[in-house]
Amino acid sequence: MIEARDIIKSYGNGESRFQVLKDISLDIEDHDFVVILGASGSGKSTFLNVISGLERPDSGKVLYDGKDITALSDHELTSFRKKSVGFIFQQYYLLPNMSVDKNVKMGADLADNKDYKTIIGAVGLGEKRHKYPSELSGGEQQRVSVARALAKRPRVLFLDEPTGALDEQTGRQVLDYICKLQKEYGFTIVMVTHNLNIAEMAHTVIKMNSGKISEIYTNETQKTAYEIGW
Amino acid sequence: MVIGIKNASKLIGISVIACCAVLVCTMFLNFYFDIRLIEGKITSELSMFFYNAQVSTAKVVCLVSGGCLLLTAIVMLLFYIKHYIDTHKKELGILKALGYSNLKIAKDFWVFGISTFIGTVIGYAGAFLLMPWFYTLQNKDKMLPEITINYHPSILLYFVILPTVCFSVLSVYYACYKLKKPVLLLLKDNLQTASKTPKHRIEKGRELSFVEDLRRSTLKTKKTLVFFIIFASFCFSAMTQMSFSMKDLSSEMMGVMMLVIGLVLAFTTLFLAITTVINGNTKTIAMMRVFGYSQKECCRAILGGYRPMSYVGFAIGTVYQYGLLRLTVDIIFKDFEGIPAYEFDFPVMIISLVAFIAIYEILMYVYSEKIKKISIKEIMIE
Repeated sequence: MIEARDIIKSYGNGESRFQVLKDISLDIEDHDFVVILGASGSGKSTFLNVISGLERPDSGKVLYDGKDITALSDHELTSFRKKSVGFIFQQYYLLPNMSVDKNVKMGADLADNKDYKTIIGAVGLGEKRHKYPSELSGGEQQRVSVARALAKRPRVLFLDEPTGALDEQTGRQVLDYICKLQKEYGFTIVMVTHNLNIAEMAHTVIKMNSGKISEIYTNETQKTAYEIGW
Repeated sequence: MVIGIKNASKLIGISVIACCAVLVCTMFLNFYFDIRLIEGKITSELSMFFYNAQVSTAKVVCLVSGGCLLLTAIVMLLFYIKHYIDTHKKELGILKALGYSNLKIAKDFWVFGISTFIGTVIGYAGAFLLMPWFYTLQNKDKMLPEITINYHPSILLYFVILPTVCFSVLSVYYACYKLKKPVLLLLKDNLQTASKTPKHRIEKGRELSFVEDLRRSTLKTKKTLVFFIIFASFCFSAMTQMSFSMKDLSSEMMGVMMLVIGLVLAFTTLFLAITTVINGNTKTIAMMRVFGYSQKECCRAILGGYRPMSYVGFAIGTVYQYGLLRLTVDIIFKDFEGIPAYEFDFPVMIISLVAFIAIYEILMYVYSEKIKKISIKEIMIE
């Protein structure tokens, strides 16, 4: 379980100091599919960075099964990320000079996962595992980043606008792969998006506005990637 | 204007190399021209031997030092232009998309020649400052009639004006050549041409860890930097060992001069090469840190591959300095009495190697701390 307690985060100095997160508290259950929804500048990405251990809050705590990750040293935080979390970003950030295989191995090696080729097959890229990112379409590149994140067998998968750079059809396909893999591997999903329709796929939806949580609700029935609007 | 003086200032490596090359070459070529003027005044056979040896030394030093350093400066210039175009692809792509021709964009690259101008002018002026001392040193036993320092305008043309013009023209021409790419290729970040590894090699090859794979890939994709690392360690090795031998063969001051030039060249090149490696891999390092790779693993993947290359450079430098001094003693000074026997100095080689390892490892430690400071948010800043 992830517990965020009284999170405050600001950027800038002096008069230009701007509070991005204003005293946020939240609980995320294991194996949940959470979508953080909000307009540009609402603080959703900053919140994702804080609860995933990418950034430290100015004050407040982030607890994973009761253990406060904000109190960890840089070395311990690196070790925490290695063992517990996976990331998928809007810009895929694949290593351009390495094949699909080797990009996925980047995640797999951290978990000593020898079976990472199965995940490449699971995202539909088994035939293209020797290709380089420049030889793949945007959707395929994002699927590589999905495989790379899952190959390290994370407890929690953090996604920051994963379909932001994709067209509708490819976006649906990527989300479908993620949902199927969640059912298979049982990890927790925390996804940031500004797309209202994607929220219909989640179990828990958190709406953010001006650095605060404005609403939290749960969907009784979760739609598939092909059932939502776009 | 696409490129400003600020961009040209980053080519300090070229300035340093040009400065060293022109300093050495100006001193020896000016001396060569001046010594030729006194040929008619030489009467004894011994003085003639000495004269011939000095003429040959001046020629060899000019050709070897000048040639090696000129080649390195050219490689460095081309590398910087390519690096500049690669890192500013989007801006250049936008200009091309707006209708600017390759030549119109490329002609701004002439400012890169300024780095050569600065280096050559400093080297040229420095040479004239050192020349009185150098002339005295070259004729310290008074075996030759007095050699007066004369000003030879052709040296200014050969070593300052021509290199500046040539480097500026080369910059424009090479930039124009590198800009001959489709606009889309320049605009899109990920459209890099990456060769595909033959399938049979993948299947048969031993499976390497990701860190090892990345280490190899970093080396393979940055071959010019491998050259610079080898060159830096070559300079360190050759110049430090040669400077010790110079004490016996020439003078202590000559040895110190050689040591200083060697160290300046080695450190400048090493500093620029490693800075480029890290700057070029910032996103990769940031992504590795996001995923949970330790600082040590990041360093091993990005910088580790260059360590064996630096030892290769050291070994080449050792062989080179031995060969050059052997050649000088056995051929140029073969008929000259009073030149001590030259043998390979093993203790000096060991001292140089230990010093090199210590300096290299300290430098790597400094850079590993720089890697530690790379923010993991770096990848989100686009």
